[in-house]
Amino acid sequence: MLNDYLSGKSQLFSDGVHTELRAQENRLRRVSMVQGNLVANGREEISGTSARVYKNGVYGFSSSAETSAAAAETVLKAATDNALFLDRHIAKNAGPLPRVSNKNIPECKIIRDTNPQEYVDFVREIDSYIMKKYPDLSSRSVSIREDSMEKIICTSDGSCGHITSPRSYVLICLNAETAAGIPVELFEPTGGFGNFDDNFSDPSLLFPRVDAIYELLMKKREGVYAEAGYKTVVLGGILPGMLAHEAVGHTVEADLVRGGSVAGPYLKKQVGSPLVNMVDFAHTAFGSPAPLPVYLDDEGTPAEDAVLIKDGILTGYMNSRETAALYGVAPQGNARAWSFSDEPLIRMRNTAVLPGNDKLEDIIASVEDGYYLTHTNNGQADLTGEFMFGVCMGYEIKHGKLARPILDTTISGVAFDMLKTVDMVSDEVIWTSSGMCGKKQPMPVGMGGPALRCKVMIGGR
Amino acid sequence: MEDLRIISDKTRDALLNGGAKMAQYTVSQTETLEFNVSSGEFSLLRTLYDNSLSIVAYVDNRMGHASGNKFDDASIAAKVADCLASAKSGTEDSAYAIAPKQENACFHDGAYEPDTDRLFARTREFMDDIARNYPKVLVAEMMVSHVKRHSLYRNTNGTEYETKKGYYEIGVQFAGHDEDATTSFCFEEITVGDLDTPFLELGNLKKAFADAEAQLTTIPLTGKFEGTLILTPGSLSSFLYSIAELFVSDTAVLEKTSPWLDKLHEKVADPRISISIDPFHPRIVCGERYTDDGFASESFDLIKDGTLEAFLISLYVANKSGFPRAKATDLSLVMAGGDTSYEDMIKNTDRGIILGRFSGGNPSVNGDFSGVAKNSFLVENGKVAGCVNEVMVSGNLADLLNNLITLSKETVANGSCVLPYAAFDHVTISGK
Repeated sequence: MLNDYLSGKSQLFSDGVHTELRAQENRLRRVSMVQGNLVANGREEISGTSARVYKNGVYGFSSSAETSAAAAETVLKAATDNALFLDRHIAKNAGPLPRVSNKNIPECKIIRDTNPQEYVDFVREIDSYIMKKYPDLSSRSVSIREDSMEKIICTSDGSCGHITSPRSYVLICLNAETAAGIPVELFEPTGGFGNFDDNFSDPSLLFPRVDAIYELLMKKREGVYAEAGYKTVVLGGILPGMLAHEAVGHTVEADLVRGGSVAGPYLKKQVGSPLVNMVDFAHTAFGSPAPLPVYLDDEGTPAEDAVLIKDGILTGYMNSRETAALYGVAPQGNARAWSFSDEPLIRMRNTAVLPGNDKLEDIIASVEDGYYLTHTNNGQADLTGEFMFGVCMGYEIKHGKLARPILDTTISGVAFDMLKTVDMVSDEVIWTSSGMCGKKQPMPVGMGGPALRCKVMIGGR
Repeated sequence: MEDLRIISDKTRDALLNGGAKMAQYTVSQTETLEFNVSSGEFSLLRTLYDNSLSIVAYVDNRMGHASGNKFDDASIAAKVADCLASAKSGTEDSAYAIAPKQENACFHDGAYEPDTDRLFARTREFMDDIARNYPKVLVAEMMVSHVKRHSLYRNTNGTEYETKKGYYEIGVQFAGHDEDATTSFCFEEITVGDLDTPFLELGNLKKAFADAEAQLTTIPLTGKFEGTLILTPGSLSSFLYSIAELFVSDTAVLEKTSPWLDKLHEKVADPRISISIDPFHPRIVCGERYTDDGFASESFDLIKDGTLEAFLISLYVANKSGFPRAKATDLSLVMAGGDTSYEDMIKNTDRGIILGRFSGGNPSVNGDFSGVAKNSFLVENGKVAGCVNEVMVSGNLADLLNNLITLSKETVANGSCVLPYAAFDHVTISGK
């Protein structure tokens, strides 16, 4: 854990500028076994000190790999010099940032380490179970990924905090072949917020999860290609979360709105059916801790929920302090950085579609001819709102009943068109938090949502 | 900068004292200077100072890896202890190996020291050029940086490589923008070793900006047809990276999921396709000089005249599989051009898509792909009919390589790869 060597350094902050000072350590543990071969067995700690200074509409930033009071002084001076350099050459004269209420967040979770042997033994036991029970698989891999961010933040507005956010996952990937010899794959992560020993105790507790993945893979072996075209689908599993993050979330990040996102002209306008509600949760969702809670962002803004869509109307963007000032709203704690050497960017936290009143089985029963899509392996967004998700598990729906499984495919649509086709929303939210959002820097994010009936383009063959 | 030899010596001593008989370790220092532009305006100047200590050690044929960014004695000792603890926890495998003794070498590449004033001037000039020549292009984000790196690699077989390199990177994300209308975002990334050329003249930037403006007007495409897929150098690189990952990578070979496992020295592509990994190519900037396993890097053919000549595998997977190791680790892709101009490639197309960017799910392990055609144009009867949106393309990567129509004479270099335009047949294209 980091010692607080930033204490007292706020007296070095220059007058007339906004300053952020941050100490940070990122920790990574990764063990990966492919076909029983240990191909990764690594441990990493990256730490350092950074400062960012705002003056008249431009920022200066500097970072050092050192974690010391002297390093804090060095990066403060360098960041100030960088801000002055740009201010001198650019002369934006944008004026100071509005102040935010300050808050002191004490250390919120202790980061504990796990013995390397425990990781390897855990992976080996699951791998051994798969190998013995399912010899018909063409290949298998089992991995552990545990990462954490720990930050000490101190800003010229008086906010400070000692933030920790560990998360840990076991990732299982199974491969088989169809009767025609076509390889098929299924991959699932298990885990969430917390140290490895918070989430995992006995590898045998994951054996039922292995069995479930295997069972799905055997169904997928019998899969058919989806028929390409504009189809009615039920987005289930983690796909609604992907929709919330990729299709809508990115388009309403205020820096992307400034960069030309389609959401710009749609503020306060109908962008979805009245059944659609969407929130970027800060730390608490539906009365429970959000998957990856954020209490204070890296600009020192206390984190609050950002309501994005209410009853189908686009109500707001996610902001940094700078864009919040531009749009005349209060920032809500979305500015986050991945590494000590990264500047805060506008990032989502735990973005979700809110649940409705329908039952999943009723939604499926309502579809005459379409698809029920349950697993995704990636997604991308666009300034236009056009999105795509890779779909790696799903089923045909024929006459209200699940029919044949489908092979890997892709779905796409334009967010604000597609959301208007949502006409049924289930009452249960499924969250995921194992992924990394990519936007100059990686960032752990949570995403979730209920099953949705809607229309999208589906790729086939 | 610190004396990397002293840090490397301390690492070596700790490893040997800890019982590592085989190890490789790299210490490096990196300085980055970066100008950022947001929504068409300068927004941020960053200066970053970082260290790296990366160790791979083997104890009794068990492997461990540890890395960090601290050079003080306690941190080095802790990192070595971490690495050895990981290694001792591992599984025994006689396939773990590093390169035998290689000739020691010093590599000096690119512009080691930044020219900050000229970099700032070139960046301003680039912004002015874009604004003047492409008024309907909005630069959403741009990062222009100089990276200076000094590193020292050593292993227990006595090999030592010292590298001093410096290069400039230009990454620009932009879109066509006109009042409320916006196009899909485009991203171009270019690496150069000097600042002699105005940025607008680099790579494919002029065409990319002109295309972005042209994408503001779209035409509808309905129904589904099988047609021609013209890949730009940018979209071709994303397809080739997928082919590399799915068909010839460590994972594909170790998991035996590659459909090319029994195809080494056999035909896998049209005979006009030749792809090499060439870190020494004059248009590759600061290319790799040694592999992750400690061998001196060499250029080699991946596919030569349509025949698979190598897998892109590490020494470990080579020992496991019996295939030869790759002679370089980084994917410095160089693909030979053909005998048709890009203009004629379009003229000879009856119906198809020029794919500017592929936004798709990860292709299946058998190479099946489907995704959205971004920044793309419909071609009909030998002419560009207009930009399309909400169009999907699907096919199979292995089939694609055997359905080549033609390669362009022109090749485009971005510092990391050198690629032509390529037209392929029998790809499914579907509109809304």
